[in-house]
Formats: sequence, structure tokens, C-alpha cells
Amino acid sequence: MGDIALEVSHVSIDYKNLMHMSLHQSLLKKEVKRAESIRAVNDVSFKVEKGKILGIIGRNGSGKTTLLRSIAGIFRPDEGYIDTKGNRVSLMAIGIGFNGNNTGRENILKSGMLLGCKLDYVKEHMEEIIEFSELGDFIDRPVRTYSSGMYSKLSFSVTAILDTDIMLVDEVLSVGDEHFRKKSYKKMEDLMHSNRTVLIVSHATDTLKKFCDKVLWINDGNFVQLGDTDKVLAEYDKFMQL
Amino acid sequence: MMKEKGIALIKIARLLVGIVFVAGLISIALFPFDKRNLSLQFMTKEGKYEVIVNNDEIAQGKWQYIDFADGIKIEELRIYGKIKSMFLEKIKYDQFAGYIAGIENGEIRWEEDGLVLDGTDAIRLEMNEAFGTLLKEHSSTLLLERLIMAELYAVMMAFILLALKIAEEKIAVDNRDNHSPLYEMKKFFGDVRKYWQYTVYAAKTDLKAEVANSYLNRLWWLLEPFFNMLVYVIVFGQVMGNSIRNYATFVFSALLMWNFFNKTINYSVKLIRSNKDIVTKVYIPKFILLISDMILNMFKLLFSLIVLAVMLLIFKVQIGIQILWVLPAYAIMILFAFGIGMIFLHFGVYVDDLSYAVGILLNMLMFLSGIFYEVMTTLPSPFNTVMMCLNPVALFIDTMRNALLYNQLCNLPLIGIWLLISIILCCVGVHIVYKNENSYVKVV
Repeated sequence: MGDIALEVSHVSIDYKNLMHMSLHQSLLKKEVKRAESIRAVNDVSFKVEKGKILGIIGRNGSGKTTLLRSIAGIFRPDEGYIDTKGNRVSLMAIGIGFNGNNTGRENILKSGMLLGCKLDYVKEHMEEIIEFSELGDFIDRPVRTYSSGMYSKLSFSVTAILDTDIMLVDEVLSVGDEHFRKKSYKKMEDLMHSNRTVLIVSHATDTLKKFCDKVLWINDGNFVQLGDTDKVLAEYDKFMQL
Repeated sequence: MMKEKGIALIKIARLLVGIVFVAGLISIALFPFDKRNLSLQFMTKEGKYEVIVNNDEIAQGKWQYIDFADGIKIEELRIYGKIKSMFLEKIKYDQFAGYIAGIENGEIRWEEDGLVLDGTDAIRLEMNEAFGTLLKEHSSTLLLERLIMAELYAVMMAFILLALKIAEEKIAVDNRDNHSPLYEMKKFFGDVRKYWQYTVYAAKTDLKAEVANSYLNRLWWLLEPFFNMLVYVIVFGQVMGNSIRNYATFVFSALLMWNFFNKTINYSVKLIRSNKDIVTKVYIPKFILLISDMILNMFKLLFSLIVLAVMLLIFKVQIGIQILWVLPAYAIMILFAFGIGMIFLHFGVYVDDLSYAVGILLNMLMFLSGIFYEVMTTLPSPFNTVMMCLNPVALFIDTMRNALLYNQLCNLPLIGIWLLISIILCCVGVHIVYKNENSYVKVV
């Protein structure tokens, strides 16, 4: 048993029906239904050991992304708490703060710093990121000239190379062409052997089978099962057959 | 037990503060203060010549004669009340003629830019009845003093409330979900330090991105304010013709300040929406985005200031040591814009059409803030004082402009008060945003 890197304890997250209001509505307090809330995640608890890879599986709209986002600190859970034990967390997402008019290089620095890295640290890893992203000369051209594949390759590379203690991956492994996909898989495998803690959200059972030490299954925001990859995935498949 | 007692005490104290506040406001509004003494300052080329008239003298009619030691050239007369840095009325030399009944031991000569009193040692100006009523009027209304006192009082009360909040924090410490002032202030400065590199770098790249495609590229930073200035010089200097000296500089310098304020507020309302990419993908204290935008605007402002400096040279505006007051005027304006911006940032997330409303309000404020005119001399009598006391933008612009163009320090007590108000607004803004920033993502 290693150290616990991440502890999620009885977390519930509500989406309050705080819709956009017009000024007219807000002044007259018309139809302001604040009480109505949707529970996206309901009483989920789990722990992840340091260096382990946890997969999270569930149907669309079952609250996987919401859970991931709250672990990343984008919003706080309404009940329960998430303890990251002081580890830095990054959510691997497409194009954090990318500005189309800036060059790839500038955007790497910007999103690197958004992930909480120091400027010097990002600069040190600049070449590595550029190499991994396979962009070549395009790195010094404005990002708006990139194809969508290049765009996602660049943003994947930023999060993949810059070291954070806990990495959250939200179905971005299917990025780029076949070659790049293979490379990202390989990178993930490297991560498995490194000391990083990874949480992967996916529908694809074979991806999870390949990487994960354990799998968490949530359905409609409720905790269903947490256990060994093969066992949980088998039951999940059975569930999905119905 | 101690804890509950303490919290109950604070509740009572808060109630007391509320009662004292209302009572104090009423007494400030109604208290029969002494009529004030007036200080008449004749502005001349060599400096100012001051005559103090106290209120008994005004009542007895002693204002009738004003003695001058030697032949001087009067450019304008300023009437001051108790507060020496805010004038009540400014009378230009040409209007001043209407108040003169006669002169002893000398003669009056009119020149293009002033009124010259020629004669022997003891020149004595005899003033007419209209001057008497003017002085009486100014001596009896204490609106300015009352307004300033009321504002100061309100600020003091706000600080007491803040102190009570801090006391409450000390008594009832709860680390999770702590939104008390001390904790938030610490967190705020921590966050600013932590994200400083990003803030500056984002401002830099955004600035670069703005001009990345344009043909003239970075030259635009200089060209834009330059052509703006040209428009003002032509329109206001030549076509419209105005009584204010160096009208083009007068307008341009004020517009620079206004533009900064305007841009900051307009941006802050839409901030979360226009930064959706960042906000939904990574945690970042939301005010970092606002600060980053403000740095960008400050950088542009610097270029405009270069153009302004050239303009000052061309129009031969005399600059003195008081020009340093431009800096605090700008600093407090920036602080104020940040505080207000934070509050609008919060409401802009929830209320869809707030940006339209704010746009209209800002437009109105622009014309109320005396960019194209001088508030104290152009607006009718009670409104000018009220505007100066209650509209901070007018105050900042007036202070900045007087320091820059006329080498004069003015509105000192009000500047102090608005510094304190801005600090309170920043605390409130930071508090609101920290408390609610988690739910912003759920809305956009």
C-alpha cells in the first residue's frame, strides 16, 4: 500500500438551476427558480494511491466530467470534500486559454502557466513539447492557421509533458492521426510506470482495460462499483447490454 | 460558550453601528454649523493674492473694499470655503468686471489675458452689490462641507463594520469555506503573487495578438492615440472654439483616463463569458483575468501618454511640481475601477443583458464626468458640488487635469475619501468573487 494521493469523500455536486437571467427578470424577480437543482454527483467516495491509474466509467451524463472538474478545483463540491494532499492537479483538456492570433510557442507558455507551472519550467520543457506535438515549423505560426488535429495535438502535448502530480484525462486520448494516437498511448504507458497519479474518464472499455489499475463505475451520479479493472468492466459491459 | 457570547456581542455592535450611522447622517445634514469664512484668491502671473473675509464681515458689508498693495494683473478670482483645495466658484477676469463699482488711487486697464490695476501703493477696489450677494450665498451654504463630512462618516462606519467582521473571524475560526476579510486578503495577495507571471505574460501575448494581423502592427499603439488627438485638436481647437485654454489638451487628457475606466468596466461585465475557454478548463482566480486586462490597457495608456506629452510640449503648457498629483489620481482611479469591475464581473455572469445596461450607464457617466467641460464652473451651483462629491470619475479627472494643465492640487479631502472607498469596494468585490466563483462555471 502506497500513500494516498487523492481522497474524495462523500462528494455531492448540484447544478443549481441558475440560468442566465435578463435584467428585466432579475429586477422583477420573475421566475427565478433557485431552489430547483439537479444532482450531478451523489455521495461518491474513493481514494487513489500514489502512482496508480484509476479509470472512471459510466454512461453519458452520469457525472464523470463534473466529478473530474471538481477534482481539478474548477468548482467546489456542494457536500463532502476533496483532498488532493497538496498535489498539483491538471485537467487534460483541449486548448486551455489558447488565443488563435498567438503562435503555438506563446500558447504553450500561456497554458503551461495556467496549469500552475513556473515560466522557467515551461520554457525548459518547450522543446520537448514541440517535439512531442510533431508540429515542426508550424509552432511559430498563429494557432488559428492550425488544422483541428494539430490544435488538439498541441494541447495534448502541453499537458502530457508538463509534470503535475495528478493528471485528469477526459477522453482526449483519441486525438490526432493514427501515429500520434499510438504515441499518446505510449506516453500513457510511460506514465503508468512513473510516479504520477492518473484519472481517466472514458466510454471505451478497451482503453481502460489497457491502462487502469482500478475502475470506478458511476451511474446517474451514484457510486456503483470500485474494483479491479477486469471485474468492473465485465459487469459494466453486461449492464450496457441490456 | 465564549464563542457564542462573542458572536452575539458582534451582532449587537453591528446593529448599533447601523443606528449610529443613520443618526449621524441626520445630524450632519441638519446641524447648524457656523457660516463659513471665505477666502478670495486673486490669481496673478506672479502667484496668488489672498484676501480672507470672515462671515461677520460679510454680514456687515465689509467686503465692499478690497485693498491691493501694488499694481497687479488679475487673471481670475477663486472663492474658497473651509476646504482649501476645492474652490466654490471661479470668476474669470472678464466676468469679474461685472462686480466692480469703482477704484481708488489708481485705474483699471484691460488686457488680453487679464485685468491690470495700475496706480500707487494702496489701490482699493470698490465692489458692487452683486458681489455682496455672491459672497453671502457662498458663506451660508455649507453643502460641500456637509457632503464631505457625510462621506467621511460613511467610510468610517464601513471600516468599523469591516473590523467587526475581522473580530468575528478571530472568534469563530473555520478554515474550510472561510470567507472572512483577513483570510481573503491573505488569499488574494497569495494568488496575485502565484499567478503574477501568468498575468503579465497573458497581457503581453493578448496585446501582441491584437495587432498580429494588422499591416502596421505595433505602430498602431502610437497611431491610434495620435489620430484621436488630431481629431480633438481640429474639432475642439479650431471648429468649435472654446473659452477654455488649450481645449484640445483639456479634452484629450481627460479622455485617456476615461477610456481606461470605460474599457475596464465594459470588459469586466463580459469577462467570464469571453474567457469561457479558460474558466471551464482550469481553476484560476477570476480577478487574475481582470488584472491581466488592466495591465494590457495600462500599457496602451502609456503610449497615449507619450502622445499627450508631445501635445503638452506643442501647446507650451507650463508644468510644475504639482504634476506629481497625476499619479495618485490615476492610482486611485485604477483601484476604484478594479473594485467596481469585480462587482460587475460577478453580476455579469448571471444577468445576461447587464452588458447593455452598463454600456448605457457608462455613456451617461461619460457626459456627467466633465470630460468636455469643467464640472465646478460649468454645472449650475448645487449640482457641481454634488457631482464632484458623488461622482468619483469626475473627481479623478478634475484632479488629474488640474495637476497636469494648471499645476494645481485640488480636491484633496475627497481624493482621500475615495481612496478609502475604493479599498472597501475592492474588499467587497474580492469577497463576492471568492464566494461565488465556483458556481460561475455551472452557469456559462
